[in-house]
Amino acid sequence: MAARFHLINARPSRTTTVVLSWVLFAAGIGLYLYTAAARQRENPEDRVTPTIGQMVRGMSGAATSGAADDDAPTQPASLVQRFSTSMLWKDTIATGRRFFCSLALLFPAVLLGLHMGLFPHVGAFFLRFVLFFDKIIALSLLPILFIAFGIDELSKIMLIVIGVTPTIILDTFNLARAVPGEQVVKAFTLGASDFDVAYRVVLKQIWPRVLNSIRLNLKAVMLFLFAGEMIASTDGLAYRIALLRRHMGMDVIIPYVLWVALLLFLADLTMRAVNRKLHPWFRES
Amino acid sequence: MIGMPLISIDNACVAYGSASRPVLSDVDLQIEEGEFVCLLGQTGCGKSTLLRLVLGSEQPLRGRILVEGREHRQPDRTRGYVPQKYSLFPDRTVLENITFGGEVSEFSIFGQLMPRYYRRRRELREEALSYLRRIGLRESDAEKYPDQLSGGMQQRVAIAQALMAKPRILLMDEAFSALDPSTRKDMQQLIRKLWCETSITVLFVTHNTHEALSLGTRIVVLAKESIDQGSRVMLDVSVPQPCQDEEIPQLMLRLESVSRTRAITDEDPRTDCSSAVPELA
Repeated sequence: MAARFHLINARPSRTTTVVLSWVLFAAGIGLYLYTAAARQRENPEDRVTPTIGQMVRGMSGAATSGAADDDAPTQPASLVQRFSTSMLWKDTIATGRRFFCSLALLFPAVLLGLHMGLFPHVGAFFLRFVLFFDKIIALSLLPILFIAFGIDELSKIMLIVIGVTPTIILDTFNLARAVPGEQVVKAFTLGASDFDVAYRVVLKQIWPRVLNSIRLNLKAVMLFLFAGEMIASTDGLAYRIALLRRHMGMDVIIPYVLWVALLLFLADLTMRAVNRKLHPWFRES
Repeated sequence: MIGMPLISIDNACVAYGSASRPVLSDVDLQIEEGEFVCLLGQTGCGKSTLLRLVLGSEQPLRGRILVEGREHRQPDRTRGYVPQKYSLFPDRTVLENITFGGEVSEFSIFGQLMPRYYRRRRELREEALSYLRRIGLRESDAEKYPDQLSGGMQQRVAIAQALMAKPRILLMDEAFSALDPSTRKDMQQLIRKLWCETSITVLFVTHNTHEALSLGTRIVVLAKESIDQGSRVMLDVSVPQPCQDEEIPQLMLRLESVSRTRAITDEDPRTDCSSAVPELA
């Protein structure tokens, strides 16, 4: 009897893998184009599914001219100057600033998780509270945050911090606990102090995994940031999307969504590359 | 401190969970400076626990552990440690692993910013390279990471790492158990050579009688008398140096009979094992 071939053991060639990985993209784009063309034939004023041409025009407008509420440049300017005063650039900068502030605030969370994992008293003090906090839906705190911190930047950053830090703390805590006890004992026998063990043995060892954890949480960071911007903001990518929704400006909303996806993709790629470069010993499992 | 053993274990008792099921009961053991003591026994008899007591990473329920005449409640530089696994820091190269002890003991985290640190680091690297040659590794291995080395090479580096801190006692916990027989033999020769050169005191945990006989100047067998009792020292023999070939079978029989006897009685108290129990020498 011939041995049965198990699909689970299949080894697709590189070409097959590349082709398969693009099929859904091609299908999605094709379906959209077909729908857009059909709706445009029915109603040339349709704004729900803009054509590629409409989106290019909308996006180039967003990337080369200011928002309607901005002061328009009085003199003709170069493309770079126009881009640097454009709606897209200003929104990206505003969102990016909040995003990086939030990422910077995750660093204390990593340190807290590290100390919780290594020092039993710190763990006992914080663990239950962080576990409880982790179960709170951050978006449900949004009204409280706006009341407590106002509708300025602080409330939006606090939303991200509250939404993401418990996950980062618990991830770091688990990573620190997973470092073999033999290595901690070994470090002590080589003359290390508690802080040497924490920062020169454990943190150094878990750092690439912590970066990975932050990388995987980038989407969550953006989710909370968008929620905050959509509800209470006067600039930012999510603010613009929410504003354009009122005017059915799908020709700009769709490119904005793709722009955010591209930025996140690039951030993810950069973090991966930096992680690989800084930690050549690290193998992702 | 004259006349005092380097390591003195008096009536040590250890229990995990319930005190009614101890791991070690009334263990007494004295180890003199320069001895190579092999701790032999079946799996689970508490050899590693005894080693951790000496290391200071575990405390006895009762009894006293003195190292250099003092009780140590924490591991420190006086006792080097080579475990079976995870002995090297994966994020450091071979050279960085070996110099780690020198760096952490002389420079704090902020001390690394001082110019003196870089001068001293160069010296430590030179010293580490000499250790690297002593353990039989090439200089080209110095910049490799632990996961690029074989198991035997990793353990060689772990030994160099421990020795570079110049401890008085080296504690090795089944350090060669995961290695293949030929690498294991090489490692045995290496540790024996290093012991002869440095006259360091070694406490070597193993469950392999052959290994104990080929390494130790003294062999201590830990075993339980019954399942509800903790292990104690059942046999403590000096191995003649050098050990003559004709003495080995007799010693083997003696050592194995002690641990095997306890293993059979532990398995099932209802088994009539009188016929299986070899006569103790």
